[in-house]
Amino acid sequence: MSLLQVKALRRDYGSLRAVDDVSFELEAGTILGFIGPNGAGKSTTMRIIATLDTPTAGEVLLDGQSLVDSPDKARPLIGYMPDRYGTYDDVTVWEFLDFFARAYGLKGAARHKRVASVMEFTGLNPLKDKLTSALSKGMKQRVALGRTLLHDPKLLILDEPADGLDPRARIELRELLRALADQGKAVLISSHILTELAEICDTCAIIEQGRLLATGKVADLLAQSQASGGTELTVRLAAGADGEAASARAEKLLLEQPRVGQVAREAEALRVRLELEPGATREQVDEAAARLLAALVGAGVPVCAFSHRELNLEDAFMTVTKGRVA
Amino acid sequence: METGARAPLSERLGDRINPLVVKEIRQGLRTRLFWVCFGLMLMACVMLSLTAYADVRDSGNQPRGQVYFFTYFVCLGLVHFFIIPYSAYRSLAREREDETWVLLALTGLGPRRILRGKVTSFLAQAALYASAVGPFLLFSYYLNGIDLPTILTVLMLGAAWLVFLTVLGVCAATLADGRLGRAFVHFLVLGLLAGAVVVGLTSAFGISEGGSRLMREREFPYVIAVVLWLMLSYGWLLFEAAAARLALITEDYSRGPRRALVAQMLLSAVGVAVLWWRQGQEREVAAVAGIAGCLHLTVTGLFLISDVDGMARALRAKTRGWSLLRPGAVRGFRLMVLLIGGWALFCCALHLLSDDTQHNWRSMLYATVAAAAYPLLYFSVALLVAKMPRSERMTSPAAVRVLFIALAGLASVLPPLLAVLMDEEADNGLINLLNPIVGLVNFATHENQISAPKMTAGMLYFLCGVAALAAFAADRILVERERRVHAS
Repeated sequence: MSLLQVKALRRDYGSLRAVDDVSFELEAGTILGFIGPNGAGKSTTMRIIATLDTPTAGEVLLDGQSLVDSPDKARPLIGYMPDRYGTYDDVTVWEFLDFFARAYGLKGAARHKRVASVMEFTGLNPLKDKLTSALSKGMKQRVALGRTLLHDPKLLILDEPADGLDPRARIELRELLRALADQGKAVLISSHILTELAEICDTCAIIEQGRLLATGKVADLLAQSQASGGTELTVRLAAGADGEAASARAEKLLLEQPRVGQVAREAEALRVRLELEPGATREQVDEAAARLLAALVGAGVPVCAFSHRELNLEDAFMTVTKGRVA
Repeated sequence: METGARAPLSERLGDRINPLVVKEIRQGLRTRLFWVCFGLMLMACVMLSLTAYADVRDSGNQPRGQVYFFTYFVCLGLVHFFIIPYSAYRSLAREREDETWVLLALTGLGPRRILRGKVTSFLAQAALYASAVGPFLLFSYYLNGIDLPTILTVLMLGAAWLVFLTVLGVCAATLADGRLGRAFVHFLVLGLLAGAVVVGLTSAFGISEGGSRLMREREFPYVIAVVLWLMLSYGWLLFEAAAARLALITEDYSRGPRRALVAQMLLSAVGVAVLWWRQGQEREVAAVAGIAGCLHLTVTGLFLISDVDGMARALRAKTRGWSLLRPGAVRGFRLMVLLIGGWALFCCALHLLSDDTQHNWRSMLYATVAAAAYPLLYFSVALLVAKMPRSERMTSPAAVRVLFIALAGLASVLPPLLAVLMDEEADNGLINLLNPIVGLVNFATHENQISAPKMTAGMLYFLCGVAALAAFAADRILVERERRVHAS
């Protein structure tokens, strides 16, 4: 059974429907990326799962228990990190974590041990006595992550954790999250940096206007996107050849080939869009591309480069969403 | 087998203290504000002591205690009545601005424990300041001119004022969510605290000046008791209201403030009964208590009835028809009706048991009943106007409050104007029957020429009937709205 089950979740604010019939599941030890434009309903959904809000309708089960009916029982299982880090001035890193450990009810030696282990995991030991106000964004972010781990939650909810971080801090965060998932924690993470999510997440959920548009493994989403949006090839002709004439000849030849939908001439290359059947596999795409290359070379077109552009999560996102806001 | 060494006592004690207290004191003692204020206050006290020493020597040991006690108290009062409450306000306001409040709420500490930690930590800081000024206040006693009971009375009232203002500061921090609202509240708090410093210091001056003369007054202990009771009970109410505002929507946020209000009214009833008995069963006590109590319930009731409709699913299962402390406008409205009705009945009972020698007893009784009927009527009408239409436009708590004020305001202004247009007297009894201000004054008026109340019993029955009908209709509307909200 999945650790987190979100079933037909709905949240209305007066006449505005912020979240509409959202359902997804999250297994222990996996990372789910929550993607959507601003105002799509990501934060509302996350706040409901974090028990900070209550749904108008629907159900959220955490470890088989309804967190809508028993939020007090669910809270110890949840670690929530909002999009603002939430640190205090005039408090050292150790005091900050010690305070939250006390707030979570940890006492005496158990508290000291837990704080020490979290500091070691997040690499904060060298900064133990430094004031949190003097930390860099990346380090504050680590302190905030450390805070969410103090009570050893099963589910981590991270709202835009990579926002404003430099590349090194992002890579370090990615490694920390991977390590947490390997420890068996389920991680629900939202971010605007989609390339980042593609590298971290096992599964993704795309939300727009409060509705879940697509959900599944990242590879599956990319395949779906490829199938619906087509595949793009780039053909570069050798320099020095009779430029314009060669391009025109290649364009004409390409348009005569089966499954070629569109050919666009650019400065030094031709962009070719292949139209394949829905659900086409990677092998079928490769086979169609190989046939095109053979036809071009066979016709004496001076091809010097022939590439197949890999789709990423951004393409999938753009294919699925329409840029509407709830 | 050895189970491990026992933690040191300090560690075990530390574990028992509210985490907020530990954090706030750590933070507070690192701030520049604390050390600057502490240093300045100590320096001022030392300078004053040197001046006092020279002054007493020059004046040939004239009693100067009263003057120097007050000057030391000014040093402490500026910190206790302004710096501490303002710091408490800023501390919680920053938690809300930086959204660290949400993180605290999720730890399971609960809003009441968090607020208690905040208030306690600032009171602990206040104790540090007081410990520095304490020896100087004692020194003023040895300068003669002020007695120990006066010093203790001023310090006790000052401490109560400090606690009340700290709670007020914390409560004010929960008031606004938007940036503009926060800025408004900030200036409001600064203004209120400036006023509080003036009130606190003026009162301290008055008491220290009056000294032993005031102490001999028969009413003085009553006045002190009433002032302390007002500070304590309103402080508690404000604290609970602040905790409710900070509670998560999934929590039983209304229980604290509603319980505090019920307890406040019950204890006040006991106090009023005792006072009425000790004052020789005077009818005025019942009349004043009746009108003042209903006025208080009108202000607090405005917040009670304007709760949102329905409640979180987690709370519904254990809610019964009589669970009036649970969230929801319908339960808030019913509790308010019960409290106002109960208070009016209690005061009427005191009226009926009072000494009957006064000729205006009926108008006093009518005024007590009318003081309960008017708020009931206008609460109900405001709820009907806000919640009867299917549109959600006017159902927000703020809209209901504005509607109540607008309706009661119109009802106070329009009837006298109408009376003037009709060539009648502006305070005409019949035209102003539903006027909450002129009507109340009319009910309390006794016509000496005819030796009877200005308003008749029939008019009072009519007013009560209209109020009861409106309350019944409002209750039905609220029940229907809650049913709709829970069904969606």
